[in-house]
Amino acid sequence: MNIQEYISSGIIESYVLGIASHEEQLEFERLCAEYPEIKAARDTFELSLENHSLLNTIVPPLKIKNRFLTAIKETGAAPVVNISSARSIDKVVPVRKMYPGRYVAAASIVLLVASTVLNFYFYKQYQNSVADLKNIIAKSEETASNNRVLQTKLEQYQSSLDKIKNPNMAVIALKGEPVAPSGLTTVYWDRQSKDVYLLVSNLPQPATDKQYQLWAIVDGVPVDAGTIDMNNATALVKMKNIPRAQAFAITLEKKGGSQTPTMPIYVKGAV
Amino acid sequence: MDKTVTYSEQELVTFLQKRDEQYFSYLYDHYSGALYSIVLQIVPDTELASDVLQEAFVNIWRKIESYDPTKGRLFTWMLNVARNLAIDTLRSKAYQNSRKNQELPDNVYFDKNGSSTQLNVDSIGLKKAVQQLKNEHRVLIDLAYFKGYTHEEIAEIESLPLGTVKTRIRSALTQLRAYLN
Repeated sequence: MNIQEYISSGIIESYVLGIASHEEQLEFERLCAEYPEIKAARDTFELSLENHSLLNTIVPPLKIKNRFLTAIKETGAAPVVNISSARSIDKVVPVRKMYPGRYVAAASIVLLVASTVLNFYFYKQYQNSVADLKNIIAKSEETASNNRVLQTKLEQYQSSLDKIKNPNMAVIALKGEPVAPSGLTTVYWDRQSKDVYLLVSNLPQPATDKQYQLWAIVDGVPVDAGTIDMNNATALVKMKNIPRAQAFAITLEKKGGSQTPTMPIYVKGAV
Repeated sequence: MDKTVTYSEQELVTFLQKRDEQYFSYLYDHYSGALYSIVLQIVPDTELASDVLQEAFVNIWRKIESYDPTKGRLFTWMLNVARNLAIDTLRSKAYQNSRKNQELPDNVYFDKNGSSTQLNVDSIGLKKAVQQLKNEHRVLIDLAYFKGYTHEEIAEIESLPLGTVKTRIRSALTQLRAYLN
């Protein structure tokens, strides 16, 4: 390269006055270390700038010196050294400086956007969680409900079994009459408490406006022992208390039952 | 410390980097006038320029370790510390607002003693040298040196190709050197 041309290109002034770009500065420093002529030219310009400046002074107000000396006393013996400015001329880069306020503002906006995105994300997560939770609660309720049904049924069967096992219980099989030849029900009659229980094994499904009714035959007279809800007849069903009877029979009656039985008899059996 | 005593730059730097207050006092006595002149060429308001000068010396004190003699003279380094601080002040929001206020017609530029609070610095230092440049050069030096804009920013402000801006600034600078010599 032509050193003289480089020296007289204006780069020296540009560098010393702090208006060279960062790249130009780095190149200049490299060439300065390599070519003593360039360094000499730089020294010459710097000296002339300094001398010129010292001839063009304006005396500052007296108080400024005292304020400066007070300030450095207050700063203490271990002042902050900015590591990033460890190279003297680096501080002179003429690139427009960002003010702290701009960084703060830029950071605020970034944080605001990030926060908004996160808020939205977390809100969606929250909504999903709430939906999941509702689902789980519903399922749990369903399970609990099923459990209760099973529990009730189990208790019914347990209770039925206990009654059947009771040695005081008289067991009376009511067998099918001609209208329902395969009909079969069983009456369990507690000899002590006189409570009557019915177990339906097989009876034809009645019409919706009809209902079976159990009669106790007391001295040849039918006494109402209660109607039978076929939907609820999977285990022992408690009927009315019957103190005394010689036989039991079932007829088909209108819904709600009748005062006197309507013929024919579906099933019957003697005590 | 006796003001008539002068130190070699190397000697001065050694003691400054040990943060000897006496040498900072000497440094202030020796260079504050030159630096104040430079600050005023950027921030013409004397009150504000005084604050910048004080802050510049505090910065010199704080950052003296980062001064690297292989990269230039101590004065050059101090000049650039002061210049950067002055440009920062020029661009600060507070300063911009105060400028707006000063545009009011009843604003007084001269105090009771009749001395200027807005010094006319066109006749001193580099400002004076810059006055002698051609207008197209003067504008660019003003933006680059006294306002601190990058070449790219100047190209945008002046609607000139970047290459033209660079060429004109280099040309103007070589003319300034001739003037300083």
